[in-house]
Formats: sequence, structure tokens, C-alpha cells
Amino acid sequence: MALDISLVIDNDVAKITLVGELDGSNASDFKAKIEQAAAAEPKKVILFLEELEFMASAGLRVLVFSKQKIGAGVDIYIIGAQEMILESIEKTGLNHSFIIQEEYQD
Amino acid sequence: MIEKLTVSATINSLKIITEYIVKVANLGGLDKKATYKLRLATDELATNIINYAYTENNGVGDILFESEISDEVIMIKIKDLGIPFDPTTKLETELKTINIPIEERKIGGLGIFLVFDGVDQFFYERIDNENISTLIIYRK
Repeated sequence: MALDISLVIDNDVAKITLVGELDGSNASDFKAKIEQAAAAEPKKVILFLEELEFMASAGLRVLVFSKQKIGAGVDIYIIGAQEMILESIEKTGLNHSFIIQEEYQD
Repeated sequence: MIEKLTVSATINSLKIITEYIVKVANLGGLDKKATYKLRLATDELATNIINYAYTENNGVGDILFESEISDEVIMIKIKDLGIPFDPTTKLETELKTINIPIEERKIGGLGIFLVFDGVDQFFYERIDNENISTLIIYRK
């Protein structure tokens, strides 16, 4: 599946943008970006998912990994997730551990 | 009508599987949401087969799909000749997992939960060394 991931670290805020489709074929790329972001010890992590069209459980597992890797004290935002992706996040109970917003608001 | 697909059990096959499932969903008249859930369910089952079914055979093997559309339902059978694996045995564990705070979770699973969530009925059979998962979606 095609997936583009970009990471920008700006003033202790790590911003990761996912575009395309996230599944077992490319979740390791997302995980690598999370590890890169974690290494910078950000105060906040923002995941922009507006243009992510599909997410399988492999992606959900990286979200779980991100919370565990980056630490409970760092807020992780999920921004603009599409309806069905949001449904997967909510049904698997991940919504309780992330700040979920339609548009990023500090 | 019956639509069939055989692909090698490799991660690169996911794209072809997706195209096939979306085609079946369109032929069956599923809406966008039902199509997404069906795609997610088949993606999860196929990924499990790709990752685990043929480990005793150096990862070499096939995944077969057979889809049948009737007036009432879309029925998709997913078959492999790998090690026996009954997805229904994993559901209880995954249902427990989703109630654990993620900070305390072991990383893994969730896929079988999404399979069951994505279809109206699910059956597993092991016949003549073949794993057969049957997914049924009601055509509303």
C-alpha cells in the first residue's frame, strides 16, 4: 500500500503527517518515525491523519506503541481522522489515551 | 455469480487482495462504510496468513479467495494450506485487550476483533489440511 509519512520537529513538538493507506506492509515505517520522534524527547506529538484513507490493526498497534514509547506524560494528538479510522480507534479503546480533534487546537 | 482470486501469501499481495475485495463489494452493492469494514476484515485475515500460515514452508504458499453474491448475502471464503489456525479462538483475548488501558497493554492483536466487527457472520473450518474462513455480509 502507498503511504507517505513526514516528520517535523518544531519547538519540542513532533508533527507526523500520514498520507495514504497504513497496513501490515508499511506499519514498520510509521513505527520508525515514532521512534525518531521519541528520540527527540518532544513535549507533544501531533499525528495528522486527514489524508489517511485506511488503517489496519498493524497501524493501531503502532499507536499503542507510540503511547508506550513516548511516555504517558506526553500528550499525543490525533487530528482529522476519517470516520472509519476513528471508528476503529474508538472500538479498540485507543480513544481514551489520545487527544482526538478534528482540527488541531493547542 | 462467483469471483475467484489466488495470490501468493506475501505482503505485496495485499494490494491485489484489496482491489479484488473492493470489486466484490461493488458488485454486491455495498456502501462505502460496509466496503471499508469488509476490506479491513479481509486485510486482517490475509495479513495473518501471510505472517504465520506458511512459516513451516519458508513462507511459501498461496491464499485463495472465493466470493459468491446472492440476493441476500455476499459470502467470501478465504483459504490457505498452512498450519491450522482458528481465528475464533483469539477473539476472547482481544475483547479483553480492548478494555485494558493502552499504557498497560502488550502490543499485539486487535486484528481478529476487527474481522468480527467487520462482517455479519464468520465461520472457520479445517477441511483436508485447508484453513477456510467464511465471511458473510448481508446485502441491505
